[in-house]
Amino acid sequence: MESLFLQQTVNGVIVGSVYSLIAIGLTMVFGVMKISNFAHGDYSMLGAYVAVFMLGVFPGWLGWVGSMLAAAAGVGVIGLLSERLLFRPLLDRWTDIDIIMVSVGLFLLLENLAQLLFGATPRMIKDPFGGTTLNLVLVSTSVLRLFCLAFSCVAIALLQIFLTRTRLGVAIRATSQNRFAALLMGVDTTMVYALTFSVGVALAGIGGVLYGTLFAVFPTMGAMPTLKAFAVTIMGGMGSIRGAIFGGFILGIAETLGGNYISMDYKNAIGFVIIILVLLVRPRGLFGRKEGA
Amino acid sequence: MNPRVPIWLKWALGAAALIALPLVVRDRYFLHLLVTAGIFVLLASSWNLLAGYAGQLNLGHAAFYGIGAYTSAILATKLGITPWLGLFAGGFVSALFGLMLGVPSLRLSGPYLAITTIGFSEILRLVAMNWVQLTRGSLGLYGIPPFTPIRLGSWLEIQFRSEISCYYLLLVLVCASLVIFRRLIRSEFGLSLESLREDEIGAASIGVNISGYKLAVFTISAFFAGLAGAFFAHYQRLVSPDTLSLGETFTILTMTMLGGLGTLLGPVVGAVLLTFLSEGLRFLEDMVKLDVRMIIYGVLLIVTILFMRGGIVGLLNSLRGTGRAKD
Repeated sequence: MESLFLQQTVNGVIVGSVYSLIAIGLTMVFGVMKISNFAHGDYSMLGAYVAVFMLGVFPGWLGWVGSMLAAAAGVGVIGLLSERLLFRPLLDRWTDIDIIMVSVGLFLLLENLAQLLFGATPRMIKDPFGGTTLNLVLVSTSVLRLFCLAFSCVAIALLQIFLTRTRLGVAIRATSQNRFAALLMGVDTTMVYALTFSVGVALAGIGGVLYGTLFAVFPTMGAMPTLKAFAVTIMGGMGSIRGAIFGGFILGIAETLGGNYISMDYKNAIGFVIIILVLLVRPRGLFGRKEGA
Repeated sequence: MNPRVPIWLKWALGAAALIALPLVVRDRYFLHLLVTAGIFVLLASSWNLLAGYAGQLNLGHAAFYGIGAYTSAILATKLGITPWLGLFAGGFVSALFGLMLGVPSLRLSGPYLAITTIGFSEILRLVAMNWVQLTRGSLGLYGIPPFTPIRLGSWLEIQFRSEISCYYLLLVLVCASLVIFRRLIRSEFGLSLESLREDEIGAASIGVNISGYKLAVFTISAFFAGLAGAFFAHYQRLVSPDTLSLGETFTILTMTMLGGLGTLLGPVVGAVLLTFLSEGLRFLEDMVKLDVRMIIYGVLLIVTILFMRGGIVGLLNSLRGTGRAKD
């Protein structure tokens, strides 16, 4: 009983770290550009397909790790393109409805194009460690899943360093806090927007490799990470990176425990129930700031 | 269109054309498409009232459609209640849920509201999938009775088993709903909704009861979507959790955006156009064996927002130079 609880918590932490990683991208894009991107998880889907194809050519752990870099680069470029073509034209006359609708259109487009190009059959990312499992005192987990946890934590840490220690990172944070003040200080906010969007979806791409490794890869898989990332982001307050990190782990643990103790059928509803409860109490999330603050 | 044609003549001609259409084109498949288009006209118009006029971005509209469909289907199959009562029961139950969803909307806006409404519809879809005793899960409810015949005297009985009779019934429902929408929009109620959309705080400061209007518009919008769902249940005679899917919501909103958000005619134009367009694409789908429809929807949605923000109706209005983008 206790060991089951611990086991599920560990599983939750692993899944939660991937949720955090994907959600950070979403919350960054929202924080800086005020874009709620409902296609965010589809960049994860693209990242997962990068891994599927990479591992087809380079099987083994090198291919798996390499596919994360390739996914970050490839998805980042696609992000750059979609920011330039779809979102930048909207930013000066934006309303929430326009931006959300464009992202919904992008979601429909990416998901169904992927179906056309890659076929609807789900694919698995092959375990490069041959399914080795580790037995720690009360819990057991595969090496692969531990590496998923490690890589998402590394990616999150690298992002933190980028945001706090580099000029570009500081420019992103400045723009997020106050766009006009940043502009007056000589920050090229247009460039910052493009960079933020591209980094945000690149994180989703890396997260997609991990998500696809934990679950399966198929063209419509993107909707789930999108909704999960929104749940996490809202829980933590949209725009708050720290909130997204906490929220990801909370959602991951709540889902695995809830799926185990309440009902497996409603596992995917748990995130929504949390969102609705959180929003009823705090309409801008747990760590959210008031608008314009 | 020649502006000198009197307005009542246009309406009369339009009505005559709609009444005569199934008598001229007797193809059952074509009629089925017309009925499908009619259901989407109701769905898109009711969504438009909420999103286009009141600015409340509801991304879970299919939930109301599903609630209406399941309510009427369950009433008819389990309790033997006549579909005529079920039709309105579907609307009312859906309206209750609309009121319920309206409550969080009092405090939420933009993306927060959008994600809450998605959550609402996904939770309901999971309930429809998993509450097997009531809904038969993913198999769906089948064997739903059609609308019972209406007896007019002893010699005339109208059956509702064929597409043509359902078409006329739906035509009445859609026209009545559109008349109600038009009156709502042209009234003080409509003006208040638009003030809500443009500037909530400003509206509140001049004494618009924003909470009341938000709750009212959610309830009304949900009622008409539920009505469409209940009609669908007795027309298709099969209801599955697919009616509550996000795909259905996205279809509804693509139709509205393409036709023209915040215009009375926009959703009508969009629903009819996309229903027929997606059928026209069937031959393409047979060739590539895949759902091309949603790709086209995605492209249409993006192109509409980037280049043609008022939709088709907005474009036509600006071409005619009437400058009345919001009719």
